[in-house]
Amino acid sequence: MENKLTASELDGVSFFDEVPCYISIQDRSCRVLRANRKMREDFGAPASMPCYAMFKGRKEQCPECIVEHTYEDGREHESAGVIFDRRGLPHDVLVKTRPLRGPSGEIVAVMQMFTDIAVQKELEHRLHDSLTRFHNLFDLAPCFIALQDRELRILEANDRFQASFGSPLGRFCYQVYKGRREPCSGCPVARTFADGETHTGEHALTDSTGKQVDLVVYTAPLRNARGDITEVMSVSADITEIRALEDKLASLGRLVGGIAHSVKNVLEGLRGGVYIVNLGFRDNNQEDIRTGWDMVQRNVARVSSMIMDMLYCARDRSPRRLPVSLAGVAKEVVGLFSARAQDRGVQLETQVAEDAGTVLGEPRDIHSLLANLVTNAIDACSSDQDAEKTGRVLIRIRREKGEAVIEVEDNGIGMDEETRGKLFTTFFSTKGTFGTGLGLLVAHKVATEHGGTIGVRSAAGEGSTFTVKLPSNQEQ
Amino acid sequence: MKRILIVDDEQDVCLYLSRLFRENGYEVSCAGDGNEALERVQQDKPDLITLDLSMPNKSGVKFYREIKSRPDLSATPVVMVTGVTGPGGNPADTERFYRTRHQVPPPEGFVPKPVDREEILNLVNKLLS
Repeated sequence: MENKLTASELDGVSFFDEVPCYISIQDRSCRVLRANRKMREDFGAPASMPCYAMFKGRKEQCPECIVEHTYEDGREHESAGVIFDRRGLPHDVLVKTRPLRGPSGEIVAVMQMFTDIAVQKELEHRLHDSLTRFHNLFDLAPCFIALQDRELRILEANDRFQASFGSPLGRFCYQVYKGRREPCSGCPVARTFADGETHTGEHALTDSTGKQVDLVVYTAPLRNARGDITEVMSVSADITEIRALEDKLASLGRLVGGIAHSVKNVLEGLRGGVYIVNLGFRDNNQEDIRTGWDMVQRNVARVSSMIMDMLYCARDRSPRRLPVSLAGVAKEVVGLFSARAQDRGVQLETQVAEDAGTVLGEPRDIHSLLANLVTNAIDACSSDQDAEKTGRVLIRIRREKGEAVIEVEDNGIGMDEETRGKLFTTFFSTKGTFGTGLGLLVAHKVATEHGGTIGVRSAAGEGSTFTVKLPSNQEQ
Repeated sequence: MKRILIVDDEQDVCLYLSRLFRENGYEVSCAGDGNEALERVQQDKPDLITLDLSMPNKSGVKFYREIKSRPDLSATPVVMVTGVTGPGGNPADTERFYRTRHQVPPPEGFVPKPVDREEILNLVNKLLS
């Protein structure tokens, strides 16, 4: 025999009691007139308690009570909230009300049905957590992340991206990154759209403040359920500092290479000197002995000053802050080099403003800064093969907007742009036997260590002007 | 007497090599950069040139390319004498030399600085014999 309920047996079942959710009937003052079995089991017998006391332990009606609303407008209402069972355990519930009407249509009671939505709530919390987590990952990741469509429009971009490149949404990446009107060649995003593979590339871009940024870009495809690529994600890391370090290392490499080259030349000079001295002894030739000995002395002096310059460049300490009179330094330097200038037919002059004053610094360093610039200027004039021109070096010292300004101007051979570009940053000499290649590196280091700057204006064939600006001594 | 032109911006290298070559029976002249060297080559018609690579004004590389591309001068043997013996030493000039040397015939000799007297004399004697 089949185990079936007949219609008459069904009539005998109390559905009110058997429904698998909480149901209560309330009167106008929210007192629970009746509760189904599940509610009685979990919340106890109502005993005419008002629902707000029974479910929430409140002494008065809840604000926005939906039982009251239903009494007032005769319609169904719903809300969500937390109710507490007899053991004090919270239940997340969705509550619905419906009016129960008497024979003449008047509302005699309101039925409340509570559906437990704990599982939905839990899912909602998890979804919220994972969304927050996703947004944190997306926005706080220490790189630039963007999602792009097939036309290379930026659909989404993380906070870091927007902080550096402004709001890019809807714009093309090549516009945002490079201000271009058409896609860059070899675009990794376009390549990923084409072959579905990850691609990488390095790009020099300009951020919203106009600063140059070096980025390494990685791309990955995002696919829909059918496996089609709908978007491409690009993740870019800022490698500007790494590039700057690499440049520094490369320039250090060039410096060492330059020094090695220069040392070889010094060695050659020493060996040559010794060879000629020996020939002089062999033949008892005084001229050879003198020529060879001069070569030895010259190259010993050269290697000494090279080592002093190298030690200065390698030194890593702050200069002392003693008051140094620029007029005094200029006088010393002119005294030191006037004979040399005269020998080469170069006029050496100074113009010192009365208010030139002092700077705070290491006297020896300021002296060597000016000495380096003045020797360079004299050499630039004496290398000039224009016989019509009289070489002239002018040292100007003045004060300008709270800064001490030292200018060394010459009308010598000048420099082309390529030479100007590498002057202060690397080992560099155009002077053969006479230079260590470190003079302007030393001048640059002195200027920057004293909180100042050094710059040059020059044109090939017309001469050069080096300008050093140092903070003036305010205490004078 | 065979004539050698020494091209080097290092005055002491010029003095040294001049004395060495004169001591061994050659006539010698010197130039301090590529421009001066070009004038000397045309005036003195040397039988051999020793050439430094890195020099101001006109580098040894430019000078070398110029004479090797001129029919009247290209037969003069050139010995490179330089402190820069390979890429990565000094910079632009050498790199350019290595990069572009397939466009011109290679130099007849190559002697690194500091110069080995015997080596350079043997080479010069051989090239001029």
